[in-house]
Amino acid sequence: MVDLIDYKKIGLKCGLEIHRQLDTKHKLFCGCSTGMKEREFITTLKRKQHPVASELGKVDIAAQYEFLRDRNFYYQVFPNEDCLVECDEEPIHQLNQEALEIALQIALLLNCTIPGEIHIMRKTVIDGSNISAFQRTMVVGLDGFLVYKGRKIEIIHVSLEEDAAAIVEEKQGNVTYRLNRLGIPLVEIGTGLLIGYMPGEIQDIAGLIGMICRSIGKVKRGIGTVRQDVNVSIKGGERVEIKGIQELRLLSKVIELEVKRQLSLPKVKEETRSANPDGTTKYTRPLPGAARLYPETDIPPIPIEKKRIKKIKKELPEPWTKKVSRLKKELKLSNELANQILRSDYLDLFEKLTKKFRIQPSIIANVFSSTIKDLKKRENIPVENLEDNYFEELFKFLVKGKIVKESIPDILSYKAKNPKMKMTEVVKKLKLETVTKEELLKIVKDVLRKNKDKPITKIIGIVMSRVRGKAKSEDVVKIVKKEVQKIY
Amino acid sequence: MYSGKVLRVLKRKKIKVGDRIRLVKKKRTFQGILMPRIEMGNKDSLILKLDNGYNIGIKFEPRVKIEKIKSEWKIKRREKGNIETIIFDKKLPTISIIGTGGTIASRIDYRTGGVYASFSAKEIVTQIPELKENANIKTKEIMNIMSEDMTPERWKKIARAVAKEINSGVRGVIITHGTDTLHYTAAALSFMLIDLSCPVAVVGAQRSSDRGSSDTVMNVACAVNFVVNSDVAGVCTVLHGTMEDDYCLAIRGTKVRKMHTSRRDAFRPINELPIAKIYWKNRKIEILNENYRKRGDIKVKVDDKLETRVALIKCYPGLDPEIFDYYIKKKYKGLVIEGTGLGHTPTLEQYSLLPKVERAIKLGIPVVITSQCLYGRVHPTIYHNLRELSRRGAIFAEDMLPGVAYIKLMWVLGHTKKFDEIRKMMLTNYSGEITERTDSRSFLI
Repeated sequence: MVDLIDYKKIGLKCGLEIHRQLDTKHKLFCGCSTGMKEREFITTLKRKQHPVASELGKVDIAAQYEFLRDRNFYYQVFPNEDCLVECDEEPIHQLNQEALEIALQIALLLNCTIPGEIHIMRKTVIDGSNISAFQRTMVVGLDGFLVYKGRKIEIIHVSLEEDAAAIVEEKQGNVTYRLNRLGIPLVEIGTGLLIGYMPGEIQDIAGLIGMICRSIGKVKRGIGTVRQDVNVSIKGGERVEIKGIQELRLLSKVIELEVKRQLSLPKVKEETRSANPDGTTKYTRPLPGAARLYPETDIPPIPIEKKRIKKIKKELPEPWTKKVSRLKKELKLSNELANQILRSDYLDLFEKLTKKFRIQPSIIANVFSSTIKDLKKRENIPVENLEDNYFEELFKFLVKGKIVKESIPDILSYKAKNPKMKMTEVVKKLKLETVTKEELLKIVKDVLRKNKDKPITKIIGIVMSRVRGKAKSEDVVKIVKKEVQKIY
Repeated sequence: MYSGKVLRVLKRKKIKVGDRIRLVKKKRTFQGILMPRIEMGNKDSLILKLDNGYNIGIKFEPRVKIEKIKSEWKIKRREKGNIETIIFDKKLPTISIIGTGGTIASRIDYRTGGVYASFSAKEIVTQIPELKENANIKTKEIMNIMSEDMTPERWKKIARAVAKEINSGVRGVIITHGTDTLHYTAAALSFMLIDLSCPVAVVGAQRSSDRGSSDTVMNVACAVNFVVNSDVAGVCTVLHGTMEDDYCLAIRGTKVRKMHTSRRDAFRPINELPIAKIYWKNRKIEILNENYRKRGDIKVKVDDKLETRVALIKCYPGLDPEIFDYYIKKKYKGLVIEGTGLGHTPTLEQYSLLPKVERAIKLGIPVVITSQCLYGRVHPTIYHNLRELSRRGAIFAEDMLPGVAYIKLMWVLGHTKKFDEIRKMMLTNYSGEITERTDSRSFLI
């Protein structure tokens, strides 16, 4: 598509808000798992919500009442992943320190100032996605920056908050939510106004922020764990907020389409829109203001000692620019592979595995940067079922020679579809146990006997087809050559 | 509030809470509105509301530069609640709502973060617009305490306020109350209000009223429906029946207990079925237990003579019996024992309570036996050890809840100190506190 819009001329201004789920053991305010693995809910709670009387008058109570009056909210409760806290039936427990630690690390990587005391706030939400009718959120970093193409990008704030419940369906005022996503720790990173950038550059900046978050190694991966919001305005128009863009590659398209939409309107109203999977957007509600934040009184403010900040600073991961060169130099990855793995959700796991196993790093990198993607893209294999410890096991098998690298895609594909099956069972089921040298020799001899007149390349081909995924190809070639020489 | 050090600097700079200020610390500038210090946290930390609505705390140090930009908010003090009446429609009956404080009346001041109790009629109606289809509402705040601070003296004050309202001709009365001791108040009122001729609903909330998810709305809406439309003459609690916003249960004031610290359906009937199920949206009232007095039009009287020197003693393995000596020495007039199982107390070695029970009774102090099982009835003769207690004159209080027996003994001792009278009154059913037969469906509901 030829881009005919002159973004400088129309005065495109954007602001980004990036949300990432943190990969903590427990939720932000209770001991529930953040795994999101449960499929069957144990019960459903029917609730109503009410307009809140004293919101500084900015949100019209009457309108809120009208909106909520005919709405019933149904909340599905999941085992292990929801407790009375998610049901709004028990006060929150103390703040998850693991989550706070990660959020502080991200804030420091983005050069933020850390407040001396962190205040948890309640943000009024009336769409039912928070069972308590508010979302808990806290600023952990302010006034930071990052550098993109030599220019400073302002980071207004880094906040730590609880994720909302995920919507299941909405039918005539009856809205159903899954409670298990509620309370998963989330960081929200808000940039200052980005002026003078093209939509593609704004997408790059979002990507860069994502990469910085991932470098900590404690963010979740997969669809739904990242959500990008973008504010878009053009000269003379109001700000429109577009929420919930799940895929980075859609961001520039969303901005382009929104600019076109705004250009086609006589007057742009301030509003919130949500992103559709195709990059278009739909109207959701008027923009809420700062007025909907009020203090959480169930637990006290959290002081942040200077000592603690110093310690976190000392242990921060290396900056991403350094990381690229290290990946290339130490691990001998190609420039392309290094950049791919750096942008991959599996960066942290990749680094862990390369340290643990004496396997050529490019083999591991390829599994994460292409094998998994291909499985998802071509065959729609549920690769999100593959857990970190499974990859560890896989490479342990490889190191021990129990499997060969050629069989990795088949094993991963099968395991993703049967996540409960053990590694050894998968390998056995797929008949991918490596053959011993003796067995291989036997097969080679057998093939030679039956195919006496065939050329050596053909012989290798036949042997390979019989031991595919069970023997290294270089071994096959070696043995066939040796045996052929013996005959002639 | 802030520490003296901070307050002095603020005063010098003529900065008040609610002013927009600029703060420079280590070359970083922060701007926002100065918030009052809430009770928790570091008193040296200035709380700033940023323009995006977030609060942050900035530690105040000598090097921090601070200046006023302009005054932004005036923080008003709240006025004490007065009597207010809201008339929607003269044809509708009028009910009274008596406020006593608690979570139901609490809400955060959005600006300051302070928790204030305020429950004016206007605010109830703002929160629950559907009330105007049901009744005209008169409200009165007679105290403002969290319910852990409730006392027998305050029960009397509530009882008198309720009687006054009923005798002024209202159709029913609602008392808003903190939940922790709500069931004690309900029981106390059940004994003190004589010839009660209309419903009195004691209502609380487990989630404060400032929340969009508060249980206040349904609880109050159902209570209004109950006191206007039911023919029950008696004190009942009205709160959520389940974790859902579906219906409330009206439970007899002498047969109810808070059984959960935080769930909205914490109040459960013990040893009998709830009186009624009150559906919220379709306003249906389903009677589940017909055993109640019917509405009438006699004047209610307050009989609030209480002997407050009564103690409730819980039995547990290892309890030191000397606790009895303390109460005897302090001239207590009655003791309620929360025994184990069917009403047992330890009987062996130095742990035996029997000599102490005997001594108390000989000194004219009645000893009443209840069970910490809560569910079920105590029994004076099944086991030898029970017979030992009974033989010494202990009063076995049937299926009365320990807390209810405690209040009843106070009330009984307010009327007589004669041993036989006390025994007779303790075992007479005045307000549904004793059931003759236990419905098999009444366990764990």
